[in-house]
Formats: sequence, C-alpha cells, structure tokens
Amino acid sequence: MAVNLNLQTSESRETRLGSITGYHGSLKEMATQGCQGCLKNCKRDFSTGCSCSHSHCLDQLAGLEGAVIIDHSPVGCSAGLIGYNRSLNNKFYESKNADQNCNLKIFSTNIREQDTVFGASEKLRNTIQFAYDRHHPKHMYVVASCVSAIIGEDAYSIAEEMSEELGVPIGYASSEGINSKIWASGFDAYCHSVSKALLKEPKEKKDQVTYVGFYPKGRDHIEWMFERFGFKMLFLTGGSNLDDFARASESKAVFGQCGAQSSYLCGALEQRFGVKYFQSHLPYGGIGVERFLREFGAYFGKEDIAEEIIKEEKETYAFRLAKVKKKLAGKKVFIALGASFAYEYTRMCKELGMEVIHTVAYHYDPHLDNETPDKVAAATDVYELDQDVATSVNDGQNMETMITLKHNKPDIVISRAHKASAWAVRNGITALEVRIGLPMVGYRGLVEFGELVIKTLANTNFERKFGARFKVPFTEAYLNSEPFSFMKEAQNG
Amino acid sequence: MAECIEQSRVACALGGIYTALAIDGVLPVTHTGPGCLAQAADILGRVNGGQAPVPFEESVIPCTDFCNTDVVFGGGEHLRTVIEKTIEYYDAKLIIAVDGCTAEIVGDDIEEVAESFEGSRIPVISAKLPGFVGNNLFGHSQILKSIVNQYLEPTGEVNPLQVNVFGIVPFYDTFWQGTLEKLEELLKAIGLEPNIIYGHGHGIENVKKIPSAGFNLVLSPWIDLDIAKLLEQKFKTPYLQFDNVPIGPTETTKFIRKLVEYAGLDQVRAESYIKKSEDRYYYYISRHQAFVYACKYIPKDFYFIGSASAAVSVTRFMVNDVGSVPLRIYITDNVPKDRQEDVRKSLYDVELEEKDYEVIFTEDGGLAAADLRKEHEDRSVVFGSNWDLLTARSIGSAFVPVCAPYGQTLIGSKNYFGYEGGVALFSDYYGEIATNPQVAFIG
Repeated sequence: MAVNLNLQTSESRETRLGSITGYHGSLKEMATQGCQGCLKNCKRDFSTGCSCSHSHCLDQLAGLEGAVIIDHSPVGCSAGLIGYNRSLNNKFYESKNADQNCNLKIFSTNIREQDTVFGASEKLRNTIQFAYDRHHPKHMYVVASCVSAIIGEDAYSIAEEMSEELGVPIGYASSEGINSKIWASGFDAYCHSVSKALLKEPKEKKDQVTYVGFYPKGRDHIEWMFERFGFKMLFLTGGSNLDDFARASESKAVFGQCGAQSSYLCGALEQRFGVKYFQSHLPYGGIGVERFLREFGAYFGKEDIAEEIIKEEKETYAFRLAKVKKKLAGKKVFIALGASFAYEYTRMCKELGMEVIHTVAYHYDPHLDNETPDKVAAATDVYELDQDVATSVNDGQNMETMITLKHNKPDIVISRAHKASAWAVRNGITALEVRIGLPMVGYRGLVEFGELVIKTLANTNFERKFGARFKVPFTEAYLNSEPFSFMKEAQNG
Repeated sequence: MAECIEQSRVACALGGIYTALAIDGVLPVTHTGPGCLAQAADILGRVNGGQAPVPFEESVIPCTDFCNTDVVFGGGEHLRTVIEKTIEYYDAKLIIAVDGCTAEIVGDDIEEVAESFEGSRIPVISAKLPGFVGNNLFGHSQILKSIVNQYLEPTGEVNPLQVNVFGIVPFYDTFWQGTLEKLEELLKAIGLEPNIIYGHGHGIENVKKIPSAGFNLVLSPWIDLDIAKLLEQKFKTPYLQFDNVPIGPTETTKFIRKLVEYAGLDQVRAESYIKKSEDRYYYYISRHQAFVYACKYIPKDFYFIGSASAAVSVTRFMVNDVGSVPLRIYITDNVPKDRQEDVRKSLYDVELEEKDYEVIFTEDGGLAAADLRKEHEDRSVVFGSNWDLLTARSIGSAFVPVCAPYGQTLIGSKNYFGYEGGVALFSDYYGEIATNPQVAFIG
C-alpha cells in the first residue's frame, strides 16, 4: 500500500488502508479477513465522543522546531493544544529541538459566523502574514478543519501563494475530523506534510536506522543492539530537530513505534528513498525482539550478530523473567489499546503466562503503508504464532468497552490514554496505564512490564474501596445489555 | 488589532457544556464531530487542574460523532437515535441536546429533535453551541438560557433568604468547586440560605428551586448578568451584583457588608464574623513575615493575563491587601464590547493613588507574550494561565497560575475565596517568589 505524496494531503485510513472502527469476534478471523481483503466495518446506533484526526495532526506538527501552525478554524479546534505545550513536558522528549523552552506557536484564524457565508480566505491570508511578522518562523503549516472544508475554502492554494510571497515554506495538511473515524488519520496528515516539506534527498547512505515515534524514551533498550550491527539510530520523534528530518533518508532501515503513528512516514521513506521499512515484527517483548532482530539481521546479512544479541538479552533477563512468570501465571487480563499495541500487549501478556480474556483495539488496519506484501504485525502473529484472542474494535467507545469489561471480570485492565482505565477503577477493577514504544523492547521491556503488573496487583485496596462507593450513573437496561449491542450489520467501506 | 488568536485561553462554545456537566443529573448529548469535546476537555479539564465532570466524565458523553454522511444527508435522524439510546442507558434527570459548527452549517434542526421527545422519561431540551459564534462563555450563557427558558417553571413561592449564586463559570474558573463550597459556608454564616446549582451535593433539585429565590447574586464583572436579567424578567427575582469573587480581607469584608445591607441581615452577627475572620487572616499572615522579609527581593508590581473575572479578583487583592501595582492587564476572554467599560471600571476601582496601568482587551493571548518579549519590568510577577509560565520564565518573572488553562496539576479543593483564600494566595505568591532564584536573590 504505497502512500501518494502527489496528493495535496493524505487519504483517510478507511479509504487508503481499509481500516475499521467497528468489529467483534476473534483476532484470527479479523486478521484473516483483513489479509484476504474482505474485512467489513460495523457502524453503531449509539456512540460517545473521543478524539479526532484534526487534533492529532496539529499536535505532531506543532512540536517541530521553528514551526508556526495556522489552524484554519473557529476558536476552539486547537484549544486543547495546551495539553501538548512545552510548559507541561519539556523534559519528556530528551530534546535537541531549539524551541524546547518556548510555547508551541499555534494560531487560530478564528472563523466566525459571517465567514461561513462570505468565506475566510482573506482571514487565512492575514493570519499567515500576522503570524509570520510575529515569529519569523523557518517554516509554517496550514491545517484545514471541518468548518473550512465544509464552506469550501481552498486553503492549499492560499498556503502556496503566501509561501511564495513570504519566501518561507508553508506546508499544508487537511485533517478534518468529519473525514475519518480514526484519529490516526491525523498522524498521517502530519506525516504527509513533513514528508513533502522536510525530507531531503540523501547525500549518502549510512549504516543508520530511523525510528519514528512519539518520544525517544527507552532508546537504551535497543540502541546497543543496533550498535552491535554497526548501526547508529536516528529519531524522528517529539523533540527532534529539522536536521534529523533532513538526514532520515540516509538511513538504510526504518521502523516505527506502531502502525498508527508511524506507518505513513516510514512508508514515505521507503517509497521515496528506498529505506527498508520493518513493520511485520515489532521488537516488543521477548518473542517480538527475537523475530525483529532475526529479520533485521537477515536483511543485512548479519544473522550471526542477531543470534548473539538474542542470546545475551535472553540470558540477562532469564532469572527475573522466570520469577515474574511464576507470579503472573493465570492472571486474567483485559486490554484496551491502539491498533498495534492492543495486539503487541496481547502477545506479551501471553508470553508472561497471563490469560488475555479480551482485547479492545481502538481501530484496526488490515494493511499499512509498506511497499512489500508483508502483513501487519497483528496478522503476522496470527499466521506465525497461531495467536488468537476474543477481540473487538472501537474508537474509544467507553460505554462499549465498559459493558464488555463487565462481562469479562479480569484481574487487571491494561490500557492507555483513552479513559478505559479510569472507568475500570471506578468499577473496582485494578488498572495499569502502560508504556508504548521503545521502553517495551526486548526481554527487558517484557520483564519490567511484568514486574509492574505484580506491583500493581500487590495492593488493590484503593480500587476496591473506591469501586464500592461508585454510584453507577447508568440504567439497568444498559448494565444488563449485551456487549456490542450498539453495533449494526457490517458494511463494506 | 488582529482577529486571529495565538495561545487560546478559551474553548469554543461547546465548552459551555461544562456548565451543564457541573449540575448533577444533567447530561448533554453532543451533535458534533468526535473530537470537538476533547479540545474543550483539555483546556477546561485536564490541563486546568486535572478536573473531569462527575458522574458523566467526558468519555461517556453521548455524541453523534458527526461525519461526512451527516453533511450530505443531514444528521437530525442520527441525533434522534442517539438521544433515544441515551434515555434508555443513562440515569440522568435532564438531557440537553447541543450542536456544534458542522451541524449548524448543515442546518440540522436540533430544537425540533429535542421537542419531539416531549413526555419522555427524561426531559430533553436543546442549546445551540457553534464555535464560530462564540467561546465557552457564550456557550455557558446558552446552556443557562436553555435551562431557564425551556426547563424552569414558577414555584409559586418566594423565600426572601434564598439566594441563587451566579457569575462563577464551572471548570473555566479553575477554583469553582472549592470556591462554591466556601461561599456556601460564608452565606450560611451570615444568615442566608444559599441555593447553588453546581458541584458536589447540589444538582437538578437546586435548579428547580431557582424561581423561589429572594434574590440572585452575581459574582462577576459581567458574566451571568444576562441570566440574572432573564430571571428578573421571568420570575421577578431581583439581583445583586458584586463584581468579583472576593479574595482576602478587604474585598471579603466589603462583600459581606454589601450583602448585609442589601438583604437586611443581622449586622451584629455579620460584624462578629468579619472580626473573627480578619483576625485569623492577619494571624496567618503574621506567621510568614519573618520568611518574607529575609534577604529577598519583593516584587512590587505585576502583569495579569487571563479572564476578566480572575483579573478583577486578583487585582483587588494584590493592590488592596498585598500592596502591589498592576503593570498591564490583558483580558483574553472576548468580553463583549458593551461590557468592556464595566470591566475596565472594576479594574481601576482599587485603593491606589496613581493608576497609570493599561487594560487591554484581546482574544489573542500571544499578544501579551509578544509585548513582554519586547519590553518588561525585571523581576516582576505574571498572574495568568499555563500559557504564561514559559513567558514569565523567559523574562525572569515569578509566575502564579490563577485561571484556565491552569496547568497539569491536581486542583483538589483548592480555592482563593474569602479570608482563607487570601491566606492561600498570599502563601502561593511568596512561596513562588522565594523559590524562583531569578526573582528572590538579592546577593
């Protein structure tokens, strides 16, 4: 599934990859149908809000060094970006970004009622000029919104014209929340924009591997492994600087944190510059890292080094792993995570001897943006490891997740970011917000995760007492409803 | 002045649903895109003291997740289905159907949809909240107007001691919950019967009691005056405005005396409460003097960047009780033009001989940062939101958060209301100065 950088902006995941947000059944069925091209999406007759692609395009673009972002929208569409401001987490990124002690620079064009009738093109032009005069940025990005799209604004052309006028590159990302049910489509819009604006032709090819993700945190889990292969790492993450983007094409290999955030940029690097995109085996947990290293080693003709690293990593953590497995054997886990990590954690929990009773994924991609016919990681697990689990797909639909949880009664809920943990705890069930990306690499990642689960389960007094006090604000009709009763018949597309 | 906005300190009109969510039993159903609420949630909730509504936290708020097919075919029926299911699944007392930009442009008739639920198990009303019309303060007003116009019924009785409290915008005023608890205590202590609709221990039953109040109290320079006037018109309830949430002894004492005079309360009881409270305030302040005056630079001026309501509260306390002088005040929440003069008057109504500071009304929060980068007083103090933290640091200023987005910390029951609130702000203020080496160190 190649990306198309000739388009003004990226296509949504639904259109490009056939991705879905409504499914229930087994992972095996879903992955098989995905591979055979016959996976259908279920719509719902009841839904709650969650997140939109627009904001995830903005939050990734805004972190770029020296960038000014113009949100062509009414006030409010970018109000939540304070949640990504460097005032909150500037230590987080281990950053080389020169703006690390500055606020994100985001302007709203402030589309008003009369603009929805007479157009807001002038407003966009004025905002670009105003923002340029205030900050003299190195590069700017114009992001379209639901409103600018519905009223038919040609923000792309205005961005091009103003770029010429001001002599500064102005990228464009069209990422309207109404266009995709999958918020990861916003990551794609960001990737599309920076792929066009910031990637450069390589001067030379180096023994370098690019990592695409949220943060470089956890690099010590994997950097030494690449060093053994003679490779250096380059990070395209929050906190990266423009030089990093310019040098990314010099890499011989690229891999991403997950299919959701990283696939499009990895795919663009592969397509434009022949950088090999490793995506079928993600390096998380013991099984994950073994397969990843073997694939990497084989590709570069360094199988022996791969075996050496695997042996060393395995031996280092063998004792702790055995201890963890003993304590966690048979513990029941309920997982609610993004498209990739939902099934990465399913495999890792099983690797630790836990029983995964249900996995919720916030969407599912039957394909990713790699040039090769390689399967997505979740499907690879089905075909290679005969992996299976009861699963459902919902775009952060917590009313659906909660009722599914109620029918499953796990010892622990493993989740992240989209409130499933908070609802689990309110219902008296222990929850753990887990790490994603490099901290999960290898036997080390697996063991550290297992040890954290043990700690989390060692004292559950809080959730037991808090859960007992929870006044359920829902009716018996809801509490007695069947899981997935919101879903209607599956449809194509 | 530019129309565009950098560093927004407000949410769009949809943020008004936080006013509904602050009333126990009220549940909004949003006819908006899937991520609209998340934007409001970050600036009014998560990055505003780590707050979330109880019991209907954002992630279970029904939403049509407005999408392309709704643009093409209209989303009215979609909304109707979601409301039907909401009535089936949620234990709510009142549902408010709200829409956003996209549904408004497409022309979905949410009023008709809401009216079609007449006689249903849970009453359904509607409020239009398009972001292109206004910010969360406009949304707040829309929600309250909908409740007053579509839900309230006369109670047929008036309790002269009952006072409804308005002017504090839940969530947007980061300290709203703690403030309302302390305000309720104070009003009871001086002999009133407060009727507060928001927050813990209150709810829809308090809403129903609104028409029987002896008077409405509006605690703000302009917010909710429209609601007080609407209630006056509908139920003949008079209102009393006090132009800010009082912080510290000067303002709180003034507030109590004004109430006593207006409502004809027991003066002796009130004065005894004032005496006790002021004594206690100065006892606590006295405990910290040796710390304050100990080889430290003490700033005598400040910048303010944020909401009009917080601006008046903080300015009065800092000038009248702490002894500081405003350098410039930026009001960033789009005060309507015809209200700006009132706000300005409130901001100059302080115990100070020379008042040569500027008050600037702008939606562009980035203006303050741009101005301060160009010129600023050294070793001053910035009162504002989390957007101002790095700006303050970059100009060697102390920083005290006082309004949304407050920051990614837990607000708990913290508030700066009244005498005790004065002690809290005094302590936070000098605590920040002392721990900020750029400011405190005098060598």
